[in-house]
This record gives sequence, C-alpha cells and structure tokens, in this order.
Amino acid sequence: MNALAIPNRTFSPRLERLPGWTVLILWAAAVLLPLYILVISCFKTTAEIYDNRLGLPLSWAFDNFVRAWTRADLGHNFINSLIVTGGAVILTIVVSAMAAYPLSRYRLGWNAIMLGLFLSGIMLPIRLASVELFTLMRNLGLLDSLTGLILVYSAIRIPFAVFIFANFMRVLPSELDEAARMDGAGEVRILFQIILPMVKPAVSIVAIFTAIAVWNDFFFPLIFIFDDRYKTVPLAISVFVGQFRTDWGLVFASLAISMAPILIMYCLLARQIREGVGAGGMK
Amino acid sequence: MANLHRTSSLKRTQQRMAVLFILPALAVYALFVLYPLAMSLWGSFFIWKGLRMVEFAGLSNFSRLFVFPSGTRLYGALWHNTAWFFGIMVFQNGIGLLFAWLLFLRDRGAAFFQSVFFFPAVLSPVIVGALWRLLLAPGGVVEWALNGLGLHEGSLTVLGNSHTALGMLIAVDAWNWMGLPVLIYTAGLRQISGQIFEAAKLDGAGNARMLFSIALPLLMPALGTLTTLSFINTFNQFDIVYVVQGVQGNPSYATDTLVTYFYRLAFGAEGAVGITDIGLALALGTMLFLILSIGTLLMLRFFDRRTVQL
Repeated sequence: MNALAIPNRTFSPRLERLPGWTVLILWAAAVLLPLYILVISCFKTTAEIYDNRLGLPLSWAFDNFVRAWTRADLGHNFINSLIVTGGAVILTIVVSAMAAYPLSRYRLGWNAIMLGLFLSGIMLPIRLASVELFTLMRNLGLLDSLTGLILVYSAIRIPFAVFIFANFMRVLPSELDEAARMDGAGEVRILFQIILPMVKPAVSIVAIFTAIAVWNDFFFPLIFIFDDRYKTVPLAISVFVGQFRTDWGLVFASLAISMAPILIMYCLLARQIREGVGAGGMK
Repeated sequence: MANLHRTSSLKRTQQRMAVLFILPALAVYALFVLYPLAMSLWGSFFIWKGLRMVEFAGLSNFSRLFVFPSGTRLYGALWHNTAWFFGIMVFQNGIGLLFAWLLFLRDRGAAFFQSVFFFPAVLSPVIVGALWRLLLAPGGVVEWALNGLGLHEGSLTVLGNSHTALGMLIAVDAWNWMGLPVLIYTAGLRQISGQIFEAAKLDGAGNARMLFSIALPLLMPALGTLTTLSFINTFNQFDIVYVVQGVQGNPSYATDTLVTYFYRLAFGAEGAVGITDIGLALALGTMLFLILSIGTLLMLRFFDRRTVQL
C-alpha cells in the first residue's frame, strides 16, 4: 500500500483525474447494473419485468424464489452442490497437505521429481480426457454419483493445492518439527497439529479457490450426471434456461439463488480473494 | 557414531512416511487425471466402435479430422477460438491495463473498484451466460435501453445473428473476467519501486509516457501470466457457448469452438442423428493438447526473455 501512496499525490491535480474516475465508474456500472437488474427481477412477475425495467418491484413477492426452490427443485440441486463442494474442499486440503509436507520438508532425493509431477497437472487440459474419464467412472460405478464428482474435482485441484502448501511449508523454520520430534511426536501429529496451523493462509487460499471452482463447474456434472436427483446447481440452471425460457422471473430467481453462497463468501473474503489472485492464486 | 546411526534411521523413517503421506494425493491424481489423459492420447491412434477400442489405426483419425465433413467444423472452431483469444487480449487484458493504471494513480477507492470489477469472475460462467442471454434477448433490457436512447430500432437480434454472435460471447467473457487483469496488473505495479516513477516524473514524463515506457516493460511477468491464462481459457471455452448458444454453437455454427465440437463428437450431438465418433474426438483432443502445451511453453519462454531485471 505504501508504494502505491507515495507517487500518487504528486501525479495529477484533481481536475485531470476526472476522465479517469469517469471511466472507472462507467465500468463499475457495467458490472453492477446487470446484477441489480437480476436482483430486482427476481421479485417481479414476467409481465412486470417487461413493463418496469429498472424500477424497484411494485411489491416484493417471493413467489419466484418459492417456485424455483420447489417446483423447479433447485433446493435439491443446492444441497448436492453443497455436498460436492464441501467434500472436494476437505479431501483436497487433507491429501494435498499430507503430500506437500514431506515434499517440502524432508530430504528424500526425489522431492523435485515428485513435485514436478504434481505441478505439471496445474496446466493439464483435463476436459480433453473426458471420454476415458467417462469410461473409468462407469467401470468404477461412479456415474450418477456425488462421490464420483468429489473424487474428480479433488484430483483436478490437487496439483494447485500441493503447489500452494509446499510453498508455504518450505519457509517454516526446521526447528519446529525437529523440536516436536525430540518430544516424541509422530509425523501425523507434527503435520496436523504443528505445521498445518502455521500455514493457515495457504489453507484458506486452497479452500476459497477450490470452493469457487467446484461450486461453479458445469462440465463434469454435464457428462457424469444423468439422474435429476444428483444434478448440481450449474447443471440445473443450464436446463432451466431452456426449459423455463419464457418464465423470466423464475430464471432470474434461480440465478440469484445459485450465486448467493458465492456472493456471501465474496463479501466476507474479498480482501483475501483479491490478494490471492494478485499473487497468482487463481488458475 | 550414535548420532550418525540416529540420522540414518530417521532418514529411513522419513522415506517410509513420505511414501505413505504422498500416496493418497498421488493415487487420486494419477487415477483421475494422468491415467485418463494418457489413455486419451494413446486412444487417438485407434479405430473405435462406440466406447470400445478396436484396432490400431495410425494417423487415420487425424487425417479424417482435417478433411470434409470434419474439416469444415475444425477450421471454423479453430478460427473462432483464435478470434476469441485476440479479442480477449485486446478487450480484457488491454482495457484491464488501463483500469489497473487508473487505480494505481489513485490512492482512494482502489480496493472498492477492484472488488467490484472482480466479482463476476467468481460467478459460474453458466450464471454469467444465462444472465446475459436474458439481458441480450429480443425484448430484453439491452434492447429496451438501446431503443430508448435512439441507438437502435426494433428487435435486438445480436445473439441470433451469425455476424455478431461470436463477438457478443467474447464481450460476455471479457465482462466475466475483467477483474483478473486488473488484479494481476495492480499487484505487478505495486512491486515497482515508487522512486522509478518519481524520477520519471522529475524528468517531465506524463502519465501515458510513464505507463508505456516505464510500467509496461516492468509488467512483462504479469502480461505473460495473463496471456498464458487467456490462451488456456479461450482454447478450453465451452460453458458460455453451451449456455448462450447451445452445444452446436448457434447460429449455424457461428460460435462453435474446439471443445464444443469435441463434446459433440465424444458425447453424441454432432449431426442430425447424434452418433458419437470417439476416434475423431480423441484425435481432436490430442491436437488440442498439443496446441495448448506447445503454445503455453512458447508463451512462457517469450515472456521470460522479455522480463526486465532491475
């Protein structure tokens, strides 16, 4: 923040900044206006969406939300998405932290090769393997299964998570685990009770970005999930858009419901997310 | 002596523990990422019957890929992905640089604007696509606004018109991800020492001059990251096309991309009958894999060489 503040005042007098502010405010409006329309349209009937474009709804009716949640069964998809996202975040964090610990803190002789194998996965275009992945999932009985989705998402997110954890764990002083080892602590305890609490920022980066990626993903449910009972939110939305094409109120409400958890998380964690992305956190 | 003994026993324990600790992550990653990917590359050299590998076919899938009827789709999709990439480079990463610079010059409001600009990037492309599909539809709010301002008359058909459809999707994608270049450039700008700008300012350099002659060369790592990410993302483009224009890349394949074409070949939505052609799909996948890996490596090298050290 300091580096930013020093040159600023000297740069330009107030009036010269006006065009710049205008540009920034225009783009902020371009971002916020569609979202504002989305939110107010949720409370309107389809007829009112046409008649009263930008104004607040005449009456704040929750009818669209109720219909989206029950008739279109978005509630069910919502729970599926929560299970898949939660499962993938936990599994990714646990196995990646376990793998990153010896790779960053032991002298094994093969650390670099193994780390390289994991890191190569950050860039791999896994969608292109979806045919073989489909066959594999079918043979394992993991089609139409939330467990299947959790495993695939974890596999995709592990490389990034190992990379982040290894970077954070590498710089911790080695006295930390040596002292614990002297006291007779086992390696599992050293990792989960000493090392992991020291790298909380890494845990939150991995959790945030895994949760966003998994909650939003549409491709894998599209190819692995056929049964309505196991559909996740983005997959359900893609169906609604065609199915309820003329029922705009319902579609707007389901969009609002599906972005609510991310919106809440974003409001709470905007700073961590901004810093994580700036540091190269977002894939 | 005793100490040495203890060290070597510790080493042995560590080797054993390391294997146990790494195994779960490695097993999941190898089974669900490395194995299917390797099998897909290998399978592209075989003739397929449904989901079954029949016999070795050499490069015949690849030669089929480039000729009629597949060639038409392939070249169309390749062109759309390329146009998408350059569109994103100009409209997202170019304008994003301007936004980041404007924010850098101001000591107030940066965090607020960054948060607003980045917000669409945490939304699912499905939500973004569906939202813009409603806004840009005939009778939608964009039509209403343009008509009201006298900029347009009658029904807005930009999504149904094959001349404008691809451009609209690129614009929606840029809207979705504009916050990414803003955040990455801002982080890069903050790493540049304020003294450099002070010195330039004393030499009489204006804001534009400082951006292009001083900041931009020092932002090469940021630009490299963004170019590579945009390249990978645009050549994997699928969700927005699927939600806004359907898996055929409507209207009349005007927004078809390599991954939508791959999806149709692999999961059976290509042509009227919807038959899968796994051999062709895997050949396309292998080609795309090569484009992505070679392209990424070249870009990383290109930007690495142009990184200015201070």
